[in-house]
Amino acid sequence: MLKVKNLTKEFQSGDHKVRAVSGVNMDVPQGVFSTIIGKSGSGKSTLLSLIGALDKPTSGEILVDDQDITKMSDRKLIKYRREKIGFIFQNYNLIPNLTALENVMLPMEFCGIRKAQRQKRAKELLTEVGLTRDKLQRRPGRLSGGEQQRVAIARALANKPKLILADEPTGNLDSSTGKIIIDLLKNLAKLENTTIVAVTHDPGIASQAKITFHLKDGKIV
Amino acid sequence: MGMINRGIKNVFRNGIRTIAIVFILAVSISMALVMFMALKTVNGKIDSVKSSIGNTITVSPAGIRGFEGGGTLLTQENANTIKSLANVSSVTETLTDRLRNENSATSNFPGGDTSSNSTTNLNSSIEPGSFGNRQRNFENQSQDTSTSANVSTQVPSMPISITGVNKISNAALSVSEFNLTSGEKIDPTSSENVAMVGKDLAEKNSLSVGSTFTAYGQTIKVAGIYDTGNTFTNGSIIMPIKTVQNLSSQTDQINSIIVETDSIDSVSPVQTAIKEKLGSSVDVTSSQDRSSQAIEPLQNIKTISFYSLVGALVAGAIIIFLVMVMIVRERRREIGVLKAIGASNVVVTGQFVSEALTLTLISSVLGVILGIVLSNPILKVLVSNSQSTSSSPGEGGPGRMMRMGIEGVGNTLNNLHAVVGIDILLYGLSAALIIAVVGSAVPSFLISKIRPAEVMRAE
Repeated sequence: MLKVKNLTKEFQSGDHKVRAVSGVNMDVPQGVFSTIIGKSGSGKSTLLSLIGALDKPTSGEILVDDQDITKMSDRKLIKYRREKIGFIFQNYNLIPNLTALENVMLPMEFCGIRKAQRQKRAKELLTEVGLTRDKLQRRPGRLSGGEQQRVAIARALANKPKLILADEPTGNLDSSTGKIIIDLLKNLAKLENTTIVAVTHDPGIASQAKITFHLKDGKIV
Repeated sequence: MGMINRGIKNVFRNGIRTIAIVFILAVSISMALVMFMALKTVNGKIDSVKSSIGNTITVSPAGIRGFEGGGTLLTQENANTIKSLANVSSVTETLTDRLRNENSATSNFPGGDTSSNSTTNLNSSIEPGSFGNRQRNFENQSQDTSTSANVSTQVPSMPISITGVNKISNAALSVSEFNLTSGEKIDPTSSENVAMVGKDLAEKNSLSVGSTFTAYGQTIKVAGIYDTGNTFTNGSIIMPIKTVQNLSSQTDQINSIIVETDSIDSVSPVQTAIKEKLGSSVDVTSSQDRSSQAIEPLQNIKTISFYSLVGALVAGAIIIFLVMVMIVRERRREIGVLKAIGASNVVVTGQFVSEALTLTLISSVLGVILGIVLSNPILKVLVSNSQSTSSSPGEGGPGRMMRMGIEGVGNTLNNLHAVVGIDILLYGLSAALIIAVVGSAVPSFLISKIRPAEVMRAE
């Protein structure tokens, strides 16, 4: 489902060129829960942003469903992010003045889905991730970290993406809540046949993944 | 919830900041509106002043004002020269003379030429009073003492003004109104011994339409009696100019020429042309000279209003621009999130423009209310400042009617009143929209440049 070939990303930092990702190759089949593990500054988040088409690589190929996203136009990349990718961030990144329900409805609005349909699916997803009904109309500020991450997972699933990219999804959670979130992601991968790539520096989480990529100085080791 | 609704909702994310922004923006919009109202009111006033003063030029002999001074009268040739100029639509000639009462023939009032036949059997309706007596005493001092002794035994009487015209008009008669109360108007182009007599003079001498009086040793028939609402002209006589020229032995001579141009814009070029043609032997004054004095304070208000209007609009645009730049910078991560979950630049930009528009529209409502409340007090401040920095109009020069008109303008300056119409409100709304669009254009560009990856890095 996801194939990364000889992927490189260089940044200009003052007079020096910094190679954040260097010749990375990855192959993740459909419906597999995989992790990228590495120390801080190893290039994990950069690799994830390249796969999610948030940034463009210096060289290499990223094939999602056999389509090379590095050759896509900006317009097609927006469509790709909208329809094929679901993002989960360490800091949840929910829109603060929207309710939990409205946050989940948001990606569906960008796809042009009608309001009633959006609302129905958002409620289903929030129930699926374990958010109680009384909290649907709450804004992120009135939800716990675990609840916010559940909302973020529901938002990532809104448009039924084939690939979910999670950047340190348990980084801001206590270990028991983190475990619940990882179990949720693993179940999703199994039940919805969704491919999950999660970035983490926690070996405990990495051990639960079917495939783990170890990243060091921008290279898979 | 669409992008527009999200933009509207975002306005209320930070209540205190929103109140501060709305207030500052409302002040800016209200100032723009007040200045626009002032500009519109003043423009209307300038137009009305120009149309009330008219497009006339007065040509008089150099050195003469009324019956004072010295110099040489104008001639028919001068009038014909002016008539031949471009953009001249009409030329009115007047010759003014003064008649002394034949029973007080030796009383020396200014202009009382005892050696000529400028006498009448009429008694003046104007009492000499302190001013007239002072004038007489001044004249007497320059006369022979034996004559003066003789004068003191006579009944003093003011001379009677007689005006010969080739056209009957308010400008020619230097009056602001002319009503014929009985009889009919004389034919000003004729040379008959006919006259129109002022109401007061007719009453004083028991004259009615059809009755006669003597002047220059000739019998003159009263064709009509008029009322101008002015004591001096109501004690005067109007006759055809040719009659006055013949009777007073001033053939072809003219006191003043009133020139009307085909438009207000051509007053200045015609004035210049007359000066070029007739040279320094004439004094040329125009309604424009006087209107410019009257309009000067209005022009000051107009200038202040215009620059303040532009300033207020620019300030408003800068305020909303800075606010939106600040908001965009503050929400870089949020913009990145929206893009990461599939929002296009159009959607994100639309959301922020909607926010800017909402902020501006709320400010506009408050701004319009403030503008309505503040418009007249601010206009009054502008008027008082402009009046204190401008000289009062209407000093010196010929043309009593013009002076009256201009003094009227000076008085009505205090009565300037800004009126808020639907057009003003629409202009205010348009200004607010322009401010919002201009103010959010650059932030929108900044939004389009924010890449979702930068948000990942910021984390």
